[in-house]
Amino acid sequence: MLSKIKSYGLMGIDGFSVSVEVYVSGGLPAYDTVGLPDAAVRESKERVRAAIRNSGFEFPMQRITVNLAPADLRKEGSVYDLPVAIGLLDATGQIRNKTFAEEYLFLGELALDGTVRGVAGILPMVIGAYGQGLRKVIVPLENAAEASYIEGVQVYVAESLKHVVDFLNGEAALMPTPARKWDRARIAYPMDFADIKGQQGAKRAAEIAVAGGHNLLLVGTPGSGKTMLARSIPSILPELTFEEALEITKVHSIAGTLQGTEGMVSERPFRAPHHSASTASLIGGGQRAMPGEISLAHYGVLFLDEFPEFRKDTLEALRQPMEDGSVTIARAATRSTYPADFMLVAAMNPCPCGNYGSRISPCRCTRQQIARYLNRISGPMLDRVDLHVEMSEVGFEDIASRSAGERSETVRARVNAARRVQVLRYKREGILFNAQLTSRMTARFCALDAQAEALLRKAFASLRLSARAYTRILKVSRTIADLEGSEAIRSHHVAEAVQYRSLESKYWGDTRR
Amino acid sequence: MKREYSERERYLLWLGFVLGPGSKRYFRTLTAFENDAHAMFAAAQKHDLPLECGLKEPILEKLFASATQRYIDGCFKRLAELDVSAAAFESPEYPALLKEIYDPPPILYYRGRLQAEPALSIAVVGSRAPTEYGRRMAHTLSQALAECGACVVSGLAYGVDCIAALGALAAEDNPYPTVAVLGSGVDVVYPAANRDIYAQIIARGAVVSEFLPGTKALPSNFPMRNRIISGLSRGVLVVEAAAKSGTLITVDCALEQGRDVFALPGRITDPKSEGTNALLREGHAKFTLSAEDVLEEYGGWRAVKAQTLSEPENLSLEQAVIRRLLLANERSFDELCELTGFSVPLLNSTLTEMEFSGIIRQSPGRVYSIECVL
Repeated sequence: MLSKIKSYGLMGIDGFSVSVEVYVSGGLPAYDTVGLPDAAVRESKERVRAAIRNSGFEFPMQRITVNLAPADLRKEGSVYDLPVAIGLLDATGQIRNKTFAEEYLFLGELALDGTVRGVAGILPMVIGAYGQGLRKVIVPLENAAEASYIEGVQVYVAESLKHVVDFLNGEAALMPTPARKWDRARIAYPMDFADIKGQQGAKRAAEIAVAGGHNLLLVGTPGSGKTMLARSIPSILPELTFEEALEITKVHSIAGTLQGTEGMVSERPFRAPHHSASTASLIGGGQRAMPGEISLAHYGVLFLDEFPEFRKDTLEALRQPMEDGSVTIARAATRSTYPADFMLVAAMNPCPCGNYGSRISPCRCTRQQIARYLNRISGPMLDRVDLHVEMSEVGFEDIASRSAGERSETVRARVNAARRVQVLRYKREGILFNAQLTSRMTARFCALDAQAEALLRKAFASLRLSARAYTRILKVSRTIADLEGSEAIRSHHVAEAVQYRSLESKYWGDTRR
Repeated sequence: MKREYSERERYLLWLGFVLGPGSKRYFRTLTAFENDAHAMFAAAQKHDLPLECGLKEPILEKLFASATQRYIDGCFKRLAELDVSAAAFESPEYPALLKEIYDPPPILYYRGRLQAEPALSIAVVGSRAPTEYGRRMAHTLSQALAECGACVVSGLAYGVDCIAALGALAAEDNPYPTVAVLGSGVDVVYPAANRDIYAQIIARGAVVSEFLPGTKALPSNFPMRNRIISGLSRGVLVVEAAAKSGTLITVDCALEQGRDVFALPGRITDPKSEGTNALLREGHAKFTLSAEDVLEEYGGWRAVKAQTLSEPENLSLEQAVIRRLLLANERSFDELCELTGFSVPLLNSTLTEMEFSGIIRQSPGRVYSIECVL
């Protein structure tokens, strides 16, 4: 009369195993679900009842108690439909196999006709269950692909409740999905660097940013190609490793944004939320503390177009995750930590009308308007962006005549080489690329020779740089040297790095005059 | 600094405190008493002012009410609290040049040190939103003037005004480099963003205003202020002005007051230079290419150093190529990249070195041009 079925619940990207206990006893017909279920879990009784009847089984007219243990953690979503239904059938003796409950993990939502539907978050659940020693999982068809990448786990695809019960009774076969090897598909990028005419300076900045994992700010007049450049950045991003792909997929699995992939994310995400985005949608949150855009951009690019148009508090909320590479969302009931190690690419106009500094159409903004616009980006925010670059204005007659430059493939090869150098160098430091260097590490890995030191001192005097800008320039110089394959940072590396810092004093320093 | 006021100043200032800014009423009233403010104060105490004063009822009431020693002491105490001094028309520090104009302000409130007869004062005026060219010229010319010992008069608004003040302050050897004239009370810094420049001016020059301390910067105040800017100066240098620029009001004042007007030519296609070019065409202003052109009008003044665009030495091949290109025209980074064919890393580092050597400069839009020194 009592049945215990294994299932799994999530908190952030990690989870906890859930034991679904079903007890059927005599008494007036009743159905109670306990163990901190949310609305979706509580509603499951209607789905379970219909699915059981429509699959040709008997729904007991007795007192039913469903307990989701541990009872003190919130259970969310529809993932418990299948385990509850199996538990009910087991408790009422409709499943003859008496040992299955120890072996299998059940995950899935039920349709009223008994079909098993896909749910979000299968990958982290399967990974978690594997860690706790389970080797056989029964998952919905939609989620089979993502689950099948975990080596050592037998993934059985459940199409319908009846099918699953027949399988457990030994009357039908439920073939395990073949374990898949992750194969980095050759990705066809919609945009190539060669598509962008001119803008060699900005392209170079993008290359440096990607090679060292630096954040990038693009400033330029409307139509200068900021958005186009940003959108072509995925084509030069370094290749994903399996571990990275797995972690990205975990987040996307929870957010339910895995549709259209082979079950595993195979390219670095590129997220471009609109500037009306709320803080919760960007950082993560909501009642169930779901991952936000910054977590969905984990190991990829977060592109914020029209940067100053974002709400100020939203932008400021980005600062802490940018430092930590992860974000913890605390709600009254839950507390979830999601990874958020993204490369920020921000684009903005130089003034509200967009033409400040233009030689073609003059700017019509007053100084106050420009200052107010620029000051929406706070100093601390600006400090966290390593490379600032101005796009050159493109005149009408220029478009046809400009040379295209290199293809993304060539650039990506250089980026990959530079990343390999960094991974090797930081093997013992627990970081992957230059942007992650702490100030202590910077002193160690970014030593300058006398000539470079002198140049940097000059830059400080003339650009009025902050102390934080100093480490930023050092890190960027490090990346430039890595791209060139030079172990030492020479003065021409620093000289180039300084170019990507001169914007601040030119625009922000100037607004006070 | 605390200023002591003479008995005569005391009553001249009293009248100014009560009547507020504006020249006409003050001097007409005073003439009725044969310039004896004390006599007028005594008459006001007895509520007995003759009709010749031509004062209207409300202002009469105000004069009667304020004709007490306590009122005057209160005013002086407040001035001292604000660290503001006041100079009446007859005070020793009242600028001599300003006395010559048709409608001099009866009282000048000031902070800093006001000199009655500075060596040579030249106003530098122009657009509030100058082009890069205007900014550079305003700064270089003001600095050059101040380095020769001149005092640069400006309005401390955005744009050319405050750049001129900064340029003048950059002349470190000049003991009295600049005077700023405000369209608000001297204690009101408008625009607030100019606070540091304001502090620097007070330390070395003076900030003056005709308006009572605490007066807000109303748009109607600025034309009145402009007549003081030109009135304080022997010449007015217009750096950049559009066709209907407010700067031209200052030029009109200068022409009425018989002051010299200098204008910097701009490109004829540039709307920001339309006003200055028109002044030159109509012969109102002297064609000005350097500080020397201004100084030579006033015998005995010469530019300290004749500055020309000399060929810098020790240029690398890349630097020489870039310099040649920029001499012809300003260029964006992208254009330089196309024209030179240099790789981006090479171009980036070369440009940085040239910037730091002061050969070229970068302006918004990532446009590079030759740093020129006049």
